[in-house]
Amino acid sequence: MIYDIRHVTTYSYESPVSFARCTLRLEPKSGDGQELISHSVEIRPRPVDRTARRDFFGILTESVVIEAAHRNLRIDSRSRVSVSRQPPPRDAFSPSWESIRDIAFEATSLGPSSPVGYVFASPLVPVLRAVSAYAASSFAPGVGILAGAVDLMHRIRTEFRYDPKATVISTPLKEVFDNRHGVCQDFAHVMIAGLRGLGLPAAYVSGYLRTIPPPGQPRLQGADATHAWVSLWCGAELGWVGLDPTNDLLVANDHIVLAVGRDFSDVSPVDGIIVGSPKQKLGVAVDVLLVE
Amino acid sequence: MGEGATEGTGQAGRARPGQRRVAQWIRDYSRLPGIPDEFLTPDGEPRAVWSRFFDAFGALAPDEIERRFAMADRHLREAGVTYRPPGENADRIWPLSHLPLLIDDADWQQLTAGIKQRAQLLELVLRDIYGEGRLVAEGALPAAAIAGSAEYLRPVCGVKPPGGRYLSIYAADVGRGPDGRWWVLGDRTQAPSGAGYALENRLVLSRAFANLYKSMNVERVAPFFEAFRDSLRGSADRDEPRIGVLTPGSFSETYFEHATLARYLGFLLVEGDDLAVSDNRLHIRTVAGLKRLDVLLRRVDSNFLDPLELDASSRLGVPGLIDVLRKDGVVVANMPGSGVLEARALLGFLPALSRRLLGEELKMPHIATWWCGQKSARDEVLSRLDEVAIEGAYSRFVPGFPSNGPVLASELDAPERQRLIDAIGDRGLDYVGQEVVRLSTMPVWEQGQISPRPFVLRVFAAATEDGWTIMPGGFCRIAEQPDARAVSMGDGARAADVWVVSEKQVSPATLLPATDKVRIRRIAGVLPSRAADNLFWLGRYLERAEATLRLVRALGSPMRPNKTTSSAMQSAERIQRLLVAWGAISQASRTAPGRIAAEALQSADRFGSALSLVRAAQRTATSLRERLSPDAWQVITEMTERLAYEVEDDDSVLSAAELTLQELASFAGLAQENMNRAAGWRFLDMGRRAERAINTTRFARQFAYDEAGDEDLDVLLTLVDCQITYRSRYLLAPVLAPVRDLAVLDSYNPRSVAFQVATLNEHIAALPSLKEYGLIERPQRLAVAVQAMLATAEAEKLEVKTLFALEQDLLSLADAIGSHYFPHGPNASRPEKLTGLA
Repeated sequence: MIYDIRHVTTYSYESPVSFARCTLRLEPKSGDGQELISHSVEIRPRPVDRTARRDFFGILTESVVIEAAHRNLRIDSRSRVSVSRQPPPRDAFSPSWESIRDIAFEATSLGPSSPVGYVFASPLVPVLRAVSAYAASSFAPGVGILAGAVDLMHRIRTEFRYDPKATVISTPLKEVFDNRHGVCQDFAHVMIAGLRGLGLPAAYVSGYLRTIPPPGQPRLQGADATHAWVSLWCGAELGWVGLDPTNDLLVANDHIVLAVGRDFSDVSPVDGIIVGSPKQKLGVAVDVLLVE
Repeated sequence: MGEGATEGTGQAGRARPGQRRVAQWIRDYSRLPGIPDEFLTPDGEPRAVWSRFFDAFGALAPDEIERRFAMADRHLREAGVTYRPPGENADRIWPLSHLPLLIDDADWQQLTAGIKQRAQLLELVLRDIYGEGRLVAEGALPAAAIAGSAEYLRPVCGVKPPGGRYLSIYAADVGRGPDGRWWVLGDRTQAPSGAGYALENRLVLSRAFANLYKSMNVERVAPFFEAFRDSLRGSADRDEPRIGVLTPGSFSETYFEHATLARYLGFLLVEGDDLAVSDNRLHIRTVAGLKRLDVLLRRVDSNFLDPLELDASSRLGVPGLIDVLRKDGVVVANMPGSGVLEARALLGFLPALSRRLLGEELKMPHIATWWCGQKSARDEVLSRLDEVAIEGAYSRFVPGFPSNGPVLASELDAPERQRLIDAIGDRGLDYVGQEVVRLSTMPVWEQGQISPRPFVLRVFAAATEDGWTIMPGGFCRIAEQPDARAVSMGDGARAADVWVVSEKQVSPATLLPATDKVRIRRIAGVLPSRAADNLFWLGRYLERAEATLRLVRALGSPMRPNKTTSSAMQSAERIQRLLVAWGAISQASRTAPGRIAAEALQSADRFGSALSLVRAAQRTATSLRERLSPDAWQVITEMTERLAYEVEDDDSVLSAAELTLQELASFAGLAQENMNRAAGWRFLDMGRRAERAINTTRFARQFAYDEAGDEDLDVLLTLVDCQITYRSRYLLAPVLAPVRDLAVLDSYNPRSVAFQVATLNEHIAALPSLKEYGLIERPQRLAVAVQAMLATAEAEKLEVKTLFALEQDLLSLADAIGSHYFPHGPNASRPEKLTGLA
C-alpha cells in the first residue's frame, strides 16, 4: 500500500521569538516492511541554517536554526511511503519469554537494532516495581513471548482509559499508571516499562495511522495526530514485532513508522528551544491518505 | 612566632616530654582487630614515615597543638571553604581532620604506576566503545554492561573528541586492603571532584604547621595543577585559548571547589546560561558581546549538558553543545559520555581488557566484583550471598532497594532477602556482588589523643602530552563508621590532607609562572555578563546597606542637640518614613526610635534591613568567589556575622552600625586599592555610584525640601557625610541652597550626586561598546543628559520636583546599564523548550 502523509506542526507564540534551534525527526523510516518513496520539509520562517545527519538510531535528524523574529513557526512535512508487512497472527507460536530475556542480555552488539539497548530504563521510562508486577501477570513461567505481550497489550487497552486531556508530554509514567489513563504515548510507555521490568527488549515507535479506515472498519484512535506504539523483540525468527496498545492491534499495514527509539525522547518529531515567549500554542495536523 | 623553637625536631632537651606523649598516644591507639593500619605495623611499631611525623608533632606542647588546629579551622572559616551536603540549602565549613595521611615515596611510586596504567587503559576502552566497537563485537565486553549505563551517550557515538582525548582528568578511589596493597574501589571518569578541596586542605595545613611541613619533605601539588592547565591549553586549536570551568551554580554541593579551581588555574567560572552556540562554536556572553570559548572543564554531569540532545529538562547546559562537539568546535573535558566507565559492571572485565589493549597485567588490583548480567557470575553471587555486598551495576543506587549504598543480604529479613534474590534472577544485569573488604585505618586527632579511622583516598591523574601525571597527594575522606567504601562528605565524614613524603628535599613550587613563559598582559580576560551583573548588584547592595546604616546612625544618635524639639521629632519621623519606604522597618514609631533603629539594623524579616542587604551582598558575592580576594570575602562575612548577632541596647545598635560602616569603608578601600582596573572593577564601582546617586537624591528630596529647616538640613549633611566640608566652607548654620549645592550639584564633592554621575560617565565611556548602527548607546545617552542637567543647574533655583525627576532619571539609568550589559542576566528571557507533541 502506498500512503501520502502530510504532517503540519505549528507553534504560535504570544510575543515575538527572536531565536529558535530545533531538531526535526520527520522522515519516515525505510525498512521493516516499508519503503520511503519521497520526503520534504518546508519551514517558515526560513531558517538560516539547516543541517541533517543520521543519529544513533538511524533517524534522519535535522538541526534547524531560525534567527528571524517570528510569532508563528510552521513545519510542513510531506512524505510518500509504501507499506507491506506481514505480522504474525496473535496466537502464533513464539519462544518462551525467559529465553528471549537471556538472549537479549547476552547480545554482542550495541547497535540500534540490538535488543540490549531496549531492556533498560530510559529517560521517560523508568523501571518501576508496580509496573513490572502488573506486566508479570501476563507472563507466567514458560509463556511464549508473543502470547504474553498480546495479553499485556489487551489488558492495557481494556483497563486504561483513553483521555487526551488527562496527560501532557511531561506527565510521569507513574502517574499515568496509577490513574490508568492517558494517550497513545502513555500507553506505549507503560507497556514498555512493564516489559523491560521483566528484562524484555521493548522499543518505542512514533508514526502515523491511516486517516480513513478500510471500508467496514472503525476509525482507529489517534488517526488525526502522530501515533505511538511498541516494538518488541521476539527472538531471531520473529524479530521485532509491533504492538499497538491503544488499539489492541498487532501492527500491520495501517501503521506507518516514523522512527524507533527507546522512548519518546529519542524520536520526538519536533523538539527545540526558543528564546522569547514562554507562552506557546501547538497545533499538529496529520493526514494520511491511501494512494493505492 | 617562635615556631622553630617549639617545632624543633630531635633537640635533646625538648624531645623528652614529646617522646613520652608519642608513646602514650601509641599505647592509647586501639587498632580495630584484623584491620591493617597506616600508622602502626601489625606488631604495633610505628612505620618510619609516621615516626618522623609524630616525633616532630609530639614535640609541640599540647596547647600549642590546639592553637595550631584552631588556626587551621579559623583559616577555613575565614576563607569560606565550604561545601553543601546534598539536600541542604546552606553551606557548611569544610570539616578538616587535622592530621595528614602520610604515604612514603616507595609506596607512592607503586600506587602511581597502577593509576597511570589504569587511566591509559580506560582512555583506550572509551575510544573503542564510542568508536569502532570492537571490544563488544569480539566478545571482550558484554554489550549490556555498557548499554545499561545512563552515561552511555548515544548522541556522541562516533563523534571524535575534540582535542583528541576522552579523559583529561581521571581519579581513582583507593584503599589499602588486608594484604597491604592498594586496591582500586572505584573509577571517576565523569568529572571527578575533590582536587580543589585537596588544594585547600594543603594550603591550610601547610600554613598551620609550616616548619613541620617543610621538614617532612612533602611533595608539592602545584606542579600537577600546572601540568593540567598546560594540557588543557594545549588541547585547544589556537594559542592563548579561553578556558571555562562549567559549574551547575552556587547551589551545587561543591561550588566552592569550582570557584577555587577557576581562580587557581586562571580559568573563567561559567554557568550554562553564560554560554551560547553560534557559528558551530561555543561562546561566552560577555559585556563586550559573544567571545569564543575554546575549552570547557565541566563539573556538570554529561546528561545535563545539552537539553536538545540529552536530558531535555536540564537548565544547566547549553542547547546545541553536542552539535558543536560534532563540528569540532570546542574541547570538553572530560568528553561527555566518559562517565560510562564508572559503572561497576565493567570492573570484572578490566584485567582481560588490560591484557588485550595494553599487553600487560593490571598493576593494581580492584575490589573483586561479579556482574550478575552473566550467568556464571550471577550463580556465584547467589551462592555466596551473605559474603558479598550487592551494589548497583551502573550507579550508586541499587535498583529496587531504597538505600543509597550497598545492600547486605545478611542484614535483610526473609521476605526482603527473597525479593533481592528474585530481582537478581529477573534483571541480574542491574546488580553486582562485591567482596567486602576491610580497608586500612589512619590516625585522627580526638581530644588530645589519636584514634584509628578507615578512609578512602582519591588519587587524581591528568592527561598531558607526555602521558599521565599524578597529583602527589590527593583527597582523603575519613569515615566515622567502619565501612569506608561509601564515604561521602554528607555523613559526618572528615577530609584530610595527604602528604607524599620524599626522602630527598623537594623544591617549593606554586602556580606562579616561570617568567620566560609569560606574555605581558595588562587587562585580564573577558568579563562574562553574569559576573558583571553580579558585581554591579554587589556594589548596589553594599551601597544601599551603607545608606541604611547611615539612617540608623542618624536616628539613634544621641549626639544631636535639641533632640526633643518638634523639628527634631519631625526629622526623626522623616528618617523613619524613609526606612519604611525602603523596607527596612515595618512602621514608624514616635516612642521608640531605638527599637526602630535595631529593627532597621538587623531584622531578618525586612528585606531592606542592613542585615538583609548585607546578606544579599553575600549571596551575590558567593557567585563571584573566583573574582573576590579572600580579604574582601572576609569583610563581607564579618559584616553578616556582626549584624546577625542580636544587640541589646541603643548604644550597641549604634556601635554595630558604626563598626559595619567602617567595614563597608574597608571593603570599598580594598576594591579601590586592590582590584584590577578592568571591566569587573568598573561594574562594581558603577553599582555603588548608581546606588549612591539614587540614595543621595532621595535624601536631598526628603531633607532639603523647599521649606526645610536647620534640623533637616543638618540630618542631610550627616547622611551624605558632608558636615565637615560644609562647616569649613560656610561657617554658619545649614542653609538650603548651599546644602543642596553640596549634596547634589558640587562635582568636586565625592559624595554628591554630580560626582557619582560624572564617574558613571567615565566608566561607561571606558567600557567596550556594542555599538549598533553607530548610534549612541542608551546608558551613555541617559548618563550624559543627567550630567549636563546637573552641570547647568543652579542651587538657588533647584526645586523638589526637579529632584524627583532626577531620581527617576537615575533609576532609569541603572536599569539601562542592566539591560544593556547584561541582556542575558538573571532577568533576561531564558531559552524555553518547545512544548512537545501530544
